[in-house]
Amino acid sequence: MILLDRVTVIYPNKTVALSGASLHIQPKEFVTVVGASGAGKSTLIRLLIKEEVPTSGKIIVGSIDYDTIDKSNIPHLRRKIGVVFQDFKLLPNLTVYENVAFALEVSGVKNTEIKRAVPKILQLVGLSEKAHHYPGEISGGERQRTAIARALVRNPKILIADEPTGNLDPKNSWDIIELLLKINRFGTTVVLTTHNKEIVDALKKRVITINRGRVVKDEKVGKYSL
Amino acid sequence: MITLWRVFKSGFRNTFRNAWLSTAATAIMAVTLLIMTFFAFSIFFVRSQLNEVQQKIDLTVFISDDAKDEQIKALQNKVLQSGGVESVEFVSKADALKRLENSSEEGKKLAKSATEIGNPLPASLEVKLEKLDDIGGINKQIRELPEAVIITETSYDSRDDNRKGVIENVIKISNGVTRVGAILSIVFLVIALLIIFNTIRMAIFTRREEIEIMKLVGATKWFIRGPFIVEGSMYGVFGATIATIALIPIGRVAGQFLIDKFNAGQAMAYFGTNFWLVVLCIYALGIFIGAVSSWLAISRHLKL
Repeated sequence: MILLDRVTVIYPNKTVALSGASLHIQPKEFVTVVGASGAGKSTLIRLLIKEEVPTSGKIIVGSIDYDTIDKSNIPHLRRKIGVVFQDFKLLPNLTVYENVAFALEVSGVKNTEIKRAVPKILQLVGLSEKAHHYPGEISGGERQRTAIARALVRNPKILIADEPTGNLDPKNSWDIIELLLKINRFGTTVVLTTHNKEIVDALKKRVITINRGRVVKDEKVGKYSL
Repeated sequence: MITLWRVFKSGFRNTFRNAWLSTAATAIMAVTLLIMTFFAFSIFFVRSQLNEVQQKIDLTVFISDDAKDEQIKALQNKVLQSGGVESVEFVSKADALKRLENSSEEGKKLAKSATEIGNPLPASLEVKLEKLDDIGGINKQIRELPEAVIITETSYDSRDDNRKGVIENVIKISNGVTRVGAILSIVFLVIALLIIFNTIRMAIFTRREEIEIMKLVGATKWFIRGPFIVEGSMYGVFGATIATIALIPIGRVAGQFLIDKFNAGQAMAYFGTNFWLVVLCIYALGIFIGAVSSWLAISRHLKL
Protein backbone atom coordinates (compact mmCIF):
# COMPACT_ATOMS: atom_id res chain seq x y z
CA MET A 1 0.00 0.00 0.00
CA ILE A 2 1.20 3.47 -0.89
CA LEU A 3 -0.46 6.48 0.71
CA LEU A 4 0.30 10.12 0.02
CA ASP A 5 -1.71 12.60 2.00
CA ARG A 6 -1.64 16.25 0.88
CA VAL A 7 2.05 16.11 0.03
CA THR A 8 3.75 19.34 -0.93
CA VAL A 9 7.33 19.68 -2.10
CA ILE A 10 8.87 23.11 -2.50
CA TYR A 11 12.50 23.25 -3.55
CA PRO A 12 14.90 25.79 -2.04
CA ASN A 13 14.62 27.91 -5.20
CA LYS A 14 10.86 28.20 -4.48
CA THR A 15 9.84 25.85 -7.31
CA VAL A 16 6.70 24.02 -6.29
CA ALA A 17 7.21 20.42 -7.48
CA LEU A 18 4.13 18.93 -5.80
CA SER A 19 1.31 20.81 -4.20
CA GLY A 20 -1.12 19.00 -1.94
CA ALA A 21 -0.95 15.74 -3.88
CA SER A 22 -2.94 12.87 -2.36
CA LEU A 23 -3.16 9.37 -3.71
CA HIS A 24 -3.71 5.86 -2.52
CA ILE A 25 -2.37 2.78 -4.26
CA GLN A 26 -3.55 -0.66 -3.13
CA PRO A 27 -1.28 -3.69 -2.90
CA LYS A 28 -0.93 -5.62 -6.19
CA GLU A 29 -2.22 -2.71 -8.20
CA PHE A 30 -0.77 -1.65 -11.53
CA VAL A 31 -0.78 2.14 -11.70
CA THR A 32 0.44 4.40 -14.44
CA VAL A 33 1.39 7.97 -13.58
CA VAL A 34 1.36 10.38 -16.49
CA GLY A 35 2.15 14.04 -16.79
CA ALA A 36 4.17 16.49 -18.82
CA SER A 37 7.85 17.01 -18.08
CA GLY A 38 8.19 18.95 -14.87
CA ALA A 39 4.69 18.00 -13.73
CA GLY A 40 6.06 16.30 -10.62
CA LYS A 41 6.36 12.64 -11.62
CA SER A 42 10.04 12.39 -10.82
CA THR A 43 9.55 14.19 -7.52
CA LEU A 44 6.85 11.66 -6.67
CA ILE A 45 9.25 8.78 -7.30
CA ARG A 46 12.06 10.43 -5.39
CA LEU A 47 9.68 10.80 -2.46
CA LEU A 48 8.78 7.12 -2.56
CA ILE A 49 12.42 6.01 -2.35
CA LYS A 50 13.01 8.71 0.23
CA GLU A 51 15.58 10.61 -1.75
CA GLU A 52 13.38 13.60 -1.21
CA VAL A 53 11.62 14.79 1.91
CA PRO A 54 8.24 16.51 1.54
CA THR A 55 7.90 20.07 2.73
CA SER A 56 4.57 19.07 4.23
CA GLY A 57 2.18 16.12 4.10
CA LYS A 58 2.40 12.47 4.99
CA ILE A 59 3.77 9.45 3.16
CA ILE A 60 3.16 5.87 4.26
CA VAL A 61 4.44 2.86 2.30
CA GLY A 62 3.53 -0.59 3.57
CA SER A 63 3.47 -0.04 7.29
CA ILE A 64 6.30 2.47 7.25
CA ASP A 65 5.59 6.09 8.09
CA TYR A 66 8.24 8.14 6.30
CA ASP A 67 8.16 10.81 8.97
CA THR A 68 9.30 8.51 11.71
CA ILE A 69 11.72 6.23 9.84
CA ASP A 70 15.23 6.37 11.21
CA LYS A 71 17.90 7.59 8.79
CA SER A 72 19.87 4.38 9.22
CA ASN A 73 16.81 2.41 8.09
CA ILE A 74 16.54 4.13 4.72
CA PRO A 75 18.77 1.51 3.03
CA HIS A 76 16.50 -1.22 4.37
CA LEU A 77 13.46 0.64 3.07
CA ARG A 78 15.06 0.89 -0.38
CA ARG A 79 15.65 -2.83 -0.40
CA LYS A 80 11.90 -3.33 -0.19
CA ILE A 81 11.18 -1.06 -3.14
CA GLY A 82 12.56 -1.99 -6.55
CA VAL A 83 13.28 0.93 -8.87
CA VAL A 84 13.92 0.95 -12.61
CA PHE A 85 15.04 4.05 -14.50
CA GLN A 86 14.99 5.28 -18.06
CA ASP A 87 18.81 5.25 -18.18
CA PHE A 88 19.03 1.76 -16.62
CA LYS A 89 21.73 2.74 -14.11
CA LEU A 90 23.74 -0.43 -14.58
CA LEU A 91 27.40 -0.68 -13.62
CA PRO A 92 29.26 -0.92 -16.93
CA ASN A 93 32.17 -2.94 -15.58
CA LEU A 94 29.97 -5.68 -14.16
CA THR A 95 28.27 -8.39 -16.21
CA VAL A 96 24.50 -8.81 -16.31
CA TYR A 97 24.80 -11.52 -13.68
CA GLU A 98 27.07 -9.40 -11.48
CA ASN A 99 24.83 -6.35 -11.76
CA VAL A 100 21.90 -8.38 -10.46
CA ALA A 101 24.01 -10.10 -7.81
CA PHE A 102 25.29 -6.68 -6.71
CA ALA A 103 21.89 -5.73 -5.29
CA LEU A 104 22.02 -8.81 -3.10
CA GLU A 105 25.68 -8.38 -2.11
CA VAL A 106 24.93 -4.89 -0.91
CA SER A 107 22.31 -6.20 1.48
CA GLY A 108 24.58 -8.85 2.95
CA VAL A 109 22.95 -11.89 1.31
CA LYS A 110 25.05 -15.06 1.45
CA ASN A 111 26.87 -16.21 -1.68
CA THR A 112 24.99 -19.52 -1.82
CA GLU A 113 21.72 -17.63 -1.76
CA ILE A 114 22.95 -15.28 -4.50
CA LYS A 115 23.92 -18.24 -6.69
CA ARG A 116 20.44 -19.63 -6.25
CA ALA A 117 18.43 -16.44 -6.72
CA VAL A 118 20.16 -14.68 -9.62
CA PRO A 119 19.81 -17.35 -12.33
CA LYS A 120 16.16 -17.73 -11.40
CA ILE A 121 15.42 -14.06 -11.84
CA LEU A 122 17.46 -13.87 -15.06
CA GLN A 123 15.33 -16.66 -16.42
CA LEU A 124 12.18 -14.75 -15.46
CA VAL A 125 13.28 -11.70 -17.45
CA GLY A 126 14.61 -13.88 -20.27
CA LEU A 127 18.29 -13.07 -19.94
CA SER A 128 19.78 -16.43 -18.97
CA GLU A 129 21.85 -16.55 -22.13
CA LYS A 130 23.25 -13.04 -21.69
CA ALA A 131 24.22 -13.53 -18.05
CA HIS A 132 27.92 -13.08 -18.72
CA HIS A 133 27.68 -10.18 -21.14
CA TYR A 134 28.54 -6.66 -20.12
CA PRO A 135 25.90 -3.91 -20.41
CA GLY A 136 27.81 -2.46 -23.37
CA GLU A 137 27.36 -5.71 -25.28
CA ILE A 138 23.59 -5.99 -25.06
CA SER A 139 20.61 -4.06 -26.47
CA GLY A 140 18.71 -1.32 -24.69
CA GLY A 141 15.78 -3.64 -24.03
CA GLU A 142 18.09 -6.23 -22.54
CA ARG A 143 19.72 -3.60 -20.37
CA GLN A 144 16.34 -2.54 -19.07
CA ARG A 145 15.46 -6.17 -18.36
CA THR A 146 18.73 -6.45 -16.43
CA ALA A 147 17.69 -3.42 -14.39
CA ILE A 148 14.29 -4.99 -13.76
CA ALA A 149 15.96 -8.24 -12.72
CA ARG A 150 18.12 -6.28 -10.30
CA ALA A 151 15.07 -4.54 -8.88
CA LEU A 152 13.17 -7.81 -8.53
CA VAL A 153 15.84 -10.09 -7.17
CA ARG A 154 15.10 -9.07 -3.61
CA ASN A 155 11.39 -9.76 -3.95
CA PRO A 156 10.22 -6.19 -3.39
CA LYS A 157 6.58 -5.55 -2.60
CA ILE A 158 6.63 -2.52 -4.87
CA LEU A 159 8.31 -1.98 -8.22
CA ILE A 160 8.68 1.60 -9.40
CA ALA A 161 9.45 2.03 -13.09
CA ASP A 162 10.39 5.60 -13.99
CA GLU A 163 9.94 5.89 -17.78
CA PRO A 164 11.47 2.47 -18.35
CA THR A 165 10.68 2.62 -22.06
CA GLY A 166 11.95 6.15 -22.62
CA ASN A 167 15.08 4.98 -24.42
CA LEU A 168 13.63 1.98 -26.20
CA ASP A 169 12.08 1.27 -29.61
CA PRO A 170 8.38 0.21 -29.72
CA LYS A 171 9.13 -3.51 -29.88
CA ASN A 172 11.46 -3.44 -26.89
CA SER A 173 9.10 -1.08 -25.08
CA TRP A 174 6.29 -3.59 -25.32
CA ASP A 175 8.55 -6.40 -24.14
CA ILE A 176 9.31 -4.36 -21.03
CA ILE A 177 5.65 -3.48 -20.40
CA GLU A 178 4.68 -7.13 -20.76
CA LEU A 179 7.39 -8.07 -18.31
CA LEU A 180 6.01 -5.50 -15.85
CA LEU A 181 2.51 -6.93 -16.27
CA LYS A 182 3.86 -10.41 -15.63
CA ILE A 183 5.59 -9.20 -12.45
CA ASN A 184 2.34 -7.54 -11.39
CA ARG A 185 0.45 -10.80 -11.91
CA PHE A 186 2.89 -12.43 -9.48
CA GLY A 187 1.65 -9.98 -6.84
CA THR A 188 4.05 -7.04 -6.96
CA THR A 189 2.60 -3.53 -6.93
CA VAL A 190 3.83 -1.71 -10.04
CA VAL A 191 4.02 2.06 -10.34
CA LEU A 192 4.87 3.07 -13.90
CA THR A 193 5.51 6.54 -15.21
CA THR A 194 5.57 7.06 -18.94
CA HIS A 195 5.13 9.52 -21.77
CA ASN A 196 4.02 6.82 -24.17
CA LYS A 197 0.36 7.42 -25.02
CA GLU A 198 0.05 4.22 -27.01
CA ILE A 199 1.15 2.13 -24.07
CA VAL A 200 -1.03 3.91 -21.52
CA ASP A 201 -4.13 3.61 -23.68
CA ALA A 202 -3.52 -0.06 -24.44
CA LEU A 203 -2.88 -1.04 -20.82
CA LYS A 204 -6.44 -0.32 -19.65
CA LYS A 205 -5.19 0.05 -16.08
CA ARG A 206 -5.52 2.79 -13.49
CA VAL A 207 -4.03 6.10 -14.64
CA ILE A 208 -3.12 9.00 -12.36
CA THR A 209 -2.53 12.28 -14.17
CA ILE A 210 -0.35 14.92 -12.58
CA ASN A 211 -0.22 18.48 -13.78
CA ARG A 212 1.77 21.30 -12.19
CA GLY A 213 2.27 19.35 -9.01
CA ARG A 214 -1.39 18.42 -8.57
CA VAL A 215 -3.25 15.17 -9.09
CA VAL A 216 -5.74 16.32 -11.70
CA LYS A 217 -7.21 12.98 -12.74
CA ASP A 218 -7.35 9.49 -11.24
CA GLU A 219 -9.27 6.93 -13.31
CA LYS A 220 -9.75 3.20 -12.73
CA VAL A 221 -9.28 2.51 -16.42
CA GLY A 222 -7.63 5.57 -17.78
CA LYS A 223 -6.29 7.03 -20.96
CA TYR A 224 -3.34 9.27 -21.70
CA SER A 225 -4.61 12.80 -21.80
CA LEU A 226 -2.83 15.96 -20.77
CA MET B 1 31.01 -10.72 8.40
CA ILE B 2 30.24 -11.36 4.77
CA THR B 3 29.55 -7.64 4.36
CA LEU B 4 32.92 -6.79 5.90
CA TRP B 5 34.63 -9.13 3.46
CA ARG B 6 32.82 -7.53 0.53
CA VAL B 7 33.80 -4.06 1.73
CA PHE B 8 37.45 -5.15 1.82
CA LYS B 9 37.24 -6.83 -1.55
CA SER B 10 35.78 -3.78 -3.19
CA GLY B 11 38.35 -1.55 -1.46
CA PHE B 12 41.19 -3.69 -2.88
CA ARG B 13 39.67 -3.69 -6.35
CA ASN B 14 39.23 0.09 -6.35
CA THR B 15 42.83 0.64 -5.31
CA PHE B 16 44.08 -1.14 -8.39
CA ARG B 17 41.51 0.38 -10.69
CA ASN B 18 42.95 3.88 -10.32
CA ALA B 19 46.54 2.88 -10.95
CA TRP B 20 48.04 6.34 -11.48
CA LEU B 21 46.40 8.00 -8.55
CA SER B 22 47.24 5.03 -6.38
CA THR B 23 50.87 5.20 -7.44
CA ALA B 24 51.13 8.87 -6.54
CA ALA B 25 49.43 8.36 -3.21
CA THR B 26 51.62 5.36 -2.42
CA ALA B 27 54.81 7.22 -3.37
CA ILE B 28 54.09 10.22 -1.21
CA MET B 29 53.09 7.92 1.62
CA ALA B 30 56.41 6.04 1.34
CA VAL B 31 58.40 9.30 1.30
CA THR B 32 56.51 10.63 4.29
CA LEU B 33 57.02 7.44 6.27
CA LEU B 34 60.73 7.38 5.39
CA ILE B 35 61.19 10.98 6.46
CA MET B 36 59.33 10.41 9.69
CA THR B 37 61.35 7.28 10.39
CA PHE B 38 64.58 9.07 9.56
CA PHE B 39 63.87 11.90 11.96
CA ALA B 40 62.54 9.65 14.66
CA PHE B 41 65.79 7.72 14.38
CA SER B 42 67.90 10.90 14.30
CA ILE B 43 66.26 12.18 17.44
CA PHE B 44 66.74 8.82 19.10
CA PHE B 45 70.35 8.65 17.91
CA VAL B 46 71.31 12.15 19.04
CA ARG B 47 69.62 11.58 22.36
CA SER B 48 71.48 8.34 22.94
CA GLN B 49 74.77 9.94 21.92
CA LEU B 50 74.06 12.76 24.30
CA ASN B 51 73.43 10.22 26.98
CA GLU B 52 76.75 8.61 26.28
CA VAL B 53 78.55 11.94 26.37
CA GLN B 54 76.84 12.63 29.62
CA GLN B 55 78.13 9.37 31.03
CA LYS B 56 81.65 10.29 30.03
CA ILE B 57 81.74 13.87 31.09
CA ASP B 58 81.25 14.66 34.69
CA LEU B 59 82.44 17.32 36.94
CA THR B 60 85.84 16.73 38.47
CA VAL B 61 86.63 18.65 41.63
CA PHE B 62 90.34 18.83 42.39
CA ILE B 63 91.38 18.90 46.00
CA SER B 64 94.30 20.57 47.59
CA ASP B 65 97.08 18.28 48.85
CA ASP B 66 96.77 19.89 52.26
CA ALA B 67 93.19 18.78 52.75
CA LYS B 68 92.51 16.45 55.64
CA ASP B 69 90.48 13.26 55.25
CA GLU B 70 87.59 14.61 57.36
CA GLN B 71 87.45 17.74 55.25
CA ILE B 72 87.27 15.66 52.08
CA LYS B 73 84.61 13.40 53.57
CA ALA B 74 82.56 16.44 54.60
CA LEU B 75 82.83 17.95 51.12
CA GLN B 76 81.90 14.66 49.49
CA ASN B 77 78.77 14.41 51.64
CA LYS B 78 77.77 17.99 50.98
CA VAL B 79 78.24 17.62 47.24
CA LEU B 80 76.22 14.43 47.23
CA GLN B 81 73.42 16.19 49.05
CA SER B 82 73.22 19.09 46.61
CA GLY B 83 70.53 18.82 43.94
CA GLY B 84 71.20 17.38 40.51
CA VAL B 85 74.07 15.17 41.63
CA GLU B 86 73.82 11.47 40.99
CA SER B 87 76.97 10.18 42.65
CA VAL B 88 80.32 11.33 43.97
CA GLU B 89 83.43 9.22 43.85
CA PHE B 90 86.64 10.01 45.66
CA VAL B 91 89.83 9.48 43.69
CA SER B 92 92.92 9.68 45.85
CA LYS B 93 96.36 10.80 44.64
CA ALA B 94 97.43 7.17 44.40
CA ASP B 95 94.30 6.24 42.45
CA ALA B 96 94.93 9.10 40.06
CA LEU B 97 98.46 7.88 39.45
CA LYS B 98 97.25 4.33 38.87
CA ARG B 99 94.70 5.57 36.38
CA LEU B 100 97.32 7.49 34.50
CA GLU B 101 99.50 4.42 34.43
CA ASN B 102 96.75 2.26 33.00
CA SER B 103 95.49 4.76 30.48
CA SER B 104 98.09 4.26 27.72
CA GLU B 105 101.75 3.71 26.91
CA GLU B 106 102.34 7.41 27.12
CA GLY B 107 100.50 7.52 30.42
CA LYS B 108 102.77 4.83 31.79
CA LYS B 109 105.82 6.91 30.99
CA LEU B 110 104.24 10.00 32.47
CA ALA B 111 103.27 8.14 35.61
CA LYS B 112 106.80 6.90 35.98
CA SER B 113 108.28 10.34 35.85
CA ALA B 114 105.50 11.61 38.12
CA THR B 115 106.46 9.05 40.73
CA GLU B 116 110.02 10.22 40.53
CA ILE B 117 109.09 13.77 41.42
CA GLY B 118 106.72 12.62 44.16
CA ASN B 119 103.28 12.28 42.54
CA PRO B 120 102.07 15.79 41.67
CA LEU B 121 98.64 14.52 40.69
CA PRO B 122 95.88 15.97 42.86
CA ALA B 123 93.20 13.96 44.59
CA SER B 124 89.72 14.61 43.26
CA LEU B 125 86.01 14.08 43.60
CA GLU B 126 84.30 12.81 40.45
CA VAL B 127 80.80 14.13 40.41
CA LYS B 128 78.21 12.42 38.18
CA LEU B 129 75.33 14.68 37.24
CA GLU B 130 71.72 13.80 36.72
CA LYS B 131 71.40 16.23 33.82
CA LEU B 132 74.13 17.63 31.66
CA ASP B 133 72.48 21.02 31.32
CA ASP B 134 73.01 21.72 35.02
CA ILE B 135 76.78 21.49 34.94
CA GLY B 136 77.40 25.25 35.25
CA GLY B 137 74.93 25.71 38.06
CA ILE B 138 76.15 22.76 40.04
CA ASN B 139 79.72 23.87 39.64
CA LYS B 140 78.77 27.22 41.11
CA GLN B 141 76.81 25.57 43.89
CA ILE B 142 79.74 23.40 44.88
CA ARG B 143 82.09 26.36 44.76
CA GLU B 144 79.92 28.23 47.22
CA LEU B 145 79.86 25.49 49.85
CA PRO B 146 81.69 26.36 53.12
CA GLU B 147 83.59 23.11 52.70
CA ALA B 148 84.87 24.30 49.33
CA VAL B 149 88.03 25.81 50.81
CA ILE B 150 89.95 22.63 49.99
CA ILE B 151 89.00 22.83 46.31
CA THR B 152 91.82 24.03 44.09
CA GLU B 153 89.87 24.03 40.89
CA THR B 154 87.15 22.13 38.97
CA SER B 155 87.07 20.71 35.49
CA TYR B 156 84.33 23.16 34.60
CA ASP B 157 85.98 26.47 35.50
CA SER B 158 89.60 25.68 35.00
CA ARG B 159 89.98 23.18 32.29
CA ASP B 160 89.28 23.67 28.65
CA ASP B 161 86.34 25.84 27.93
CA ASN B 162 86.23 23.67 24.92
CA ARG B 163 84.54 20.90 26.75
CA LYS B 164 81.89 23.24 28.03
CA GLY B 165 81.35 24.31 24.45
CA VAL B 166 81.10 20.71 23.26
CA ILE B 167 78.44 19.93 25.82
CA GLU B 168 76.46 23.02 24.94
CA ASN B 169 76.80 22.22 21.27
CA VAL B 170 75.58 18.68 21.73
CA ILE B 171 72.54 19.97 23.59
CA LYS B 172 71.91 22.56 20.88
CA ILE B 173 72.21 19.97 18.11
CA SER B 174 69.89 17.63 19.93
CA ASN B 175 67.27 20.32 20.34
CA GLY B 176 67.75 21.44 16.75
CA VAL B 177 67.34 17.94 15.34
CA THR B 178 64.21 17.43 17.41
CA ARG B 179 62.72 20.70 16.20
CA VAL B 180 63.63 20.30 12.52
CA GLY B 181 62.53 16.67 12.61
CA ALA B 182 59.20 17.54 14.13
CA ILE B 183 58.55 20.38 11.67
CA LEU B 184 59.55 18.39 8.57
CA SER B 185 57.57 15.39 9.75
CA ILE B 186 54.49 17.52 10.22
CA VAL B 187 54.96 19.20 6.83
CA PHE B 188 55.20 15.86 5.06
CA LEU B 189 52.37 14.45 7.12
CA VAL B 190 50.17 17.30 5.91
CA ILE B 191 51.30 16.80 2.29
CA ALA B 192 50.53 13.10 2.50
CA LEU B 193 47.15 13.79 4.06
CA LEU B 194 46.31 16.30 1.33
CA ILE B 195 47.40 14.05 -1.53
CA ILE B 196 45.50 11.04 -0.25
CA PHE B 197 42.56 13.27 0.55
CA ASN B 198 42.53 14.38 -3.08
CA THR B 199 43.02 10.86 -4.39
CA ILE B 200 39.99 9.68 -2.47
CA ARG B 201 38.05 12.76 -3.53
CA MET B 202 38.81 11.94 -7.17
CA ALA B 203 37.82 8.35 -6.55
CA ILE B 204 34.52 9.50 -5.07
CA PHE B 205 34.01 11.73 -8.08
CA THR B 206 34.78 9.08 -10.68
CA ARG B 207 32.62 6.57 -8.89
CA ARG B 208 29.66 8.86 -8.22
CA GLU B 209 27.48 6.84 -10.56
CA GLU B 210 28.37 3.64 -8.82
CA ILE B 211 27.73 5.28 -5.45
CA GLU B 212 24.33 6.46 -6.64
CA ILE B 213 23.44 2.97 -7.79
CA MET B 214 24.63 1.49 -4.52
CA LYS B 215 22.37 3.88 -2.67
CA LEU B 216 19.46 3.00 -4.92
CA VAL B 217 19.77 -0.71 -4.37
CA GLY B 218 19.86 -0.14 -0.64
CA ALA B 219 23.52 -0.21 0.36
CA THR B 220 24.09 1.02 3.89
CA LYS B 221 26.28 4.03 4.56
CA TRP B 222 29.14 1.87 5.69
CA PHE B 223 28.94 -0.42 2.75
CA ILE B 224 29.52 2.61 0.53
CA ARG B 225 32.09 4.34 2.75
CA GLY B 226 34.02 1.27 3.81
CA PRO B 227 35.81 0.62 0.50
CA PHE B 228 37.21 4.17 0.47
CA ILE B 229 38.61 3.74 3.96
CA VAL B 230 40.10 0.42 2.86
CA GLU B 231 41.56 2.15 -0.19
CA GLY B 232 43.17 4.88 1.93
CA SER B 233 44.56 2.28 4.30
CA MET B 234 45.96 0.34 1.35
CA TYR B 235 48.09 3.34 0.40
CA GLY B 236 49.38 3.20 3.96
CA VAL B 237 50.21 -0.50 3.64
CA PHE B 238 51.91 -0.09 0.25
CA GLY B 239 53.77 3.02 1.37
CA ALA B 240 54.94 1.29 4.54
CA THR B 241 56.12 -1.72 2.52
CA ILE B 242 58.17 0.47 0.21
CA ALA B 243 59.54 2.45 3.16
CA THR B 244 60.54 -0.75 4.95
CA ILE B 245 62.22 -2.19 1.88
CA ALA B 246 64.12 1.08 1.38
CA LEU B 247 65.01 1.20 5.04
CA ILE B 248 66.99 -2.06 5.04
CA PRO B 249 69.86 -0.98 2.71
CA ILE B 250 69.79 2.60 4.02
CA GLY B 251 69.99 1.28 7.56
CA ARG B 252 72.93 -0.97 6.68
CA VAL B 253 75.02 1.77 5.07
CA ALA B 254 74.12 4.52 7.50
CA GLY B 255 74.43 2.19 10.47
CA GLN B 256 77.97 1.15 9.53
CA PHE B 257 78.90 4.78 8.99
CA LEU B 258 77.51 5.80 12.36
CA ILE B 259 79.22 2.91 14.12
CA ASP B 260 82.56 3.79 12.50
CA LYS B 261 82.39 7.52 12.98
CA PHE B 262 80.40 7.99 16.10
CA ASN B 263 80.86 4.78 18.00
CA ALA B 264 77.10 4.32 17.73
CA GLY B 265 77.13 0.59 18.35
CA GLN B 266 74.73 0.80 21.23
CA ALA B 267 72.13 2.85 19.40
CA MET B 268 72.38 0.67 16.31
CA ALA B 269 72.08 -2.49 18.35
CA TYR B 270 68.97 -1.10 19.95
CA PHE B 271 67.60 -0.28 16.53
CA GLY B 272 68.50 -3.76 15.30
CA THR B 273 66.82 -5.67 18.11
CA ASN B 274 63.70 -3.54 17.78
CA PHE B 275 63.59 -3.67 13.99
CA TRP B 276 60.21 -5.37 13.86
CA LEU B 277 58.77 -2.92 16.31
CA VAL B 278 59.97 -0.10 14.06
CA VAL B 279 58.40 -1.79 11.03
CA LEU B 280 55.17 -2.27 12.94
CA CYS B 281 55.15 1.42 13.83
CA ILE B 282 55.73 2.39 10.19
CA TYR B 283 52.78 0.26 9.08
CA ALA B 284 50.57 1.54 11.87
CA LEU B 285 51.45 5.12 11.00
CA GLY B 286 50.87 4.54 7.28
CA ILE B 287 47.48 2.94 7.82
CA PHE B 288 46.59 5.71 10.24
CA ILE B 289 47.50 8.48 7.78
CA GLY B 290 45.66 6.73 4.94
CA ALA B 291 42.53 6.01 6.91
CA VAL B 292 42.33 9.49 8.42
CA SER B 293 42.73 11.35 5.11
CA SER B 294 40.26 8.99 3.49
CA TRP B 295 37.85 9.61 6.31
CA LEU B 296 38.23 13.37 5.89
CA ALA B 297 37.56 13.12 2.14
CA ILE B 298 34.49 10.97 2.71
CA SER B 299 32.97 13.23 5.29
CA ARG B 300 33.50 16.24 3.05
CA HIS B 301 32.62 14.85 -0.35
CA LEU B 302 30.49 11.75 0.05
CA LYS B 303 27.02 12.92 0.91
CA LEU B 304 24.83 9.95 1.64
